[in-house]
Amino acid sequence: MSEAREKHLDELREIVAEVLEVEPEEITETGSFVEEHEADSLRAIEILARIEKKYKIDIPQSELPRMENLKAVYDVVANQAGWQD
Amino acid sequence: MVTLEHADIRRILPHRHPVLLVDRVLDLEPGVRIVATKTVTGSEPCYAGLDEHLPASAYAYPASLLVESFGQTGAVLWLYSAATAGERSEGTLIFGSAREVTITGSAYPGDVLRHTVEIDQLIGDNAFMRGETWVGDRRIATLGSVLAVVREGLAAGTGS
Repeated sequence: MSEAREKHLDELREIVAEVLEVEPEEITETGSFVEEHEADSLRAIEILARIEKKYKIDIPQSELPRMENLKAVYDVVANQAGWQD
Repeated sequence: MVTLEHADIRRILPHRHPVLLVDRVLDLEPGVRIVATKTVTGSEPCYAGLDEHLPASAYAYPASLLVESFGQTGAVLWLYSAATAGERSEGTLIFGSAREVTITGSAYPGDVLRHTVEIDQLIGDNAFMRGETWVGDRRIATLGSVLAVVREGLAAGTGS
């Protein structure tokens, strides 16, 4: 895994953990936010809002259903932000 | 500069007595900022039935209602701005969350809460707001991120 990818994943993990009110290490790449952390649609929109703010990007709300775990969030953001990790 | 009286506020917010917690809008800049007041009185339902031997501190206006009042103020800004821009949101207005809330003082019967709220981020039917609550020249609360949303139909399965 590249250093840039590692860094971005850590930043996203931090955002997700803060919104879901858990420790960052509890957020695994493939763990479902809904099933493992009882996330609902409001938490999802909070995660999206914080990511948009931090990276100054727009993420279409149609991507929300896809953003169900950390890896999926990374993929959506990488795509929108044009990361070449 | 836009000001709104209570009659106007009732046409904007779905809330009604005793949970409509915005009295008057002193200033509103559509899409940007609002300043509104809510007067705390001894006849608030939250003071009903308090034991008469309780100290003055028992009459501090509850933080939960202060945050709700702040959220409603933000909702007035959001809904008024949307209506002015010709964007009508159909659905139920829901309090989503409040984060980074710091309470640094109290309000008592006779005090006037003055909320200053700014829209931080608008994402579709979701409004993130931030601001402060003052009593006179005392800031009694800072609210870093309050989320209000509009959802179609009933509010089942959203929020916690």
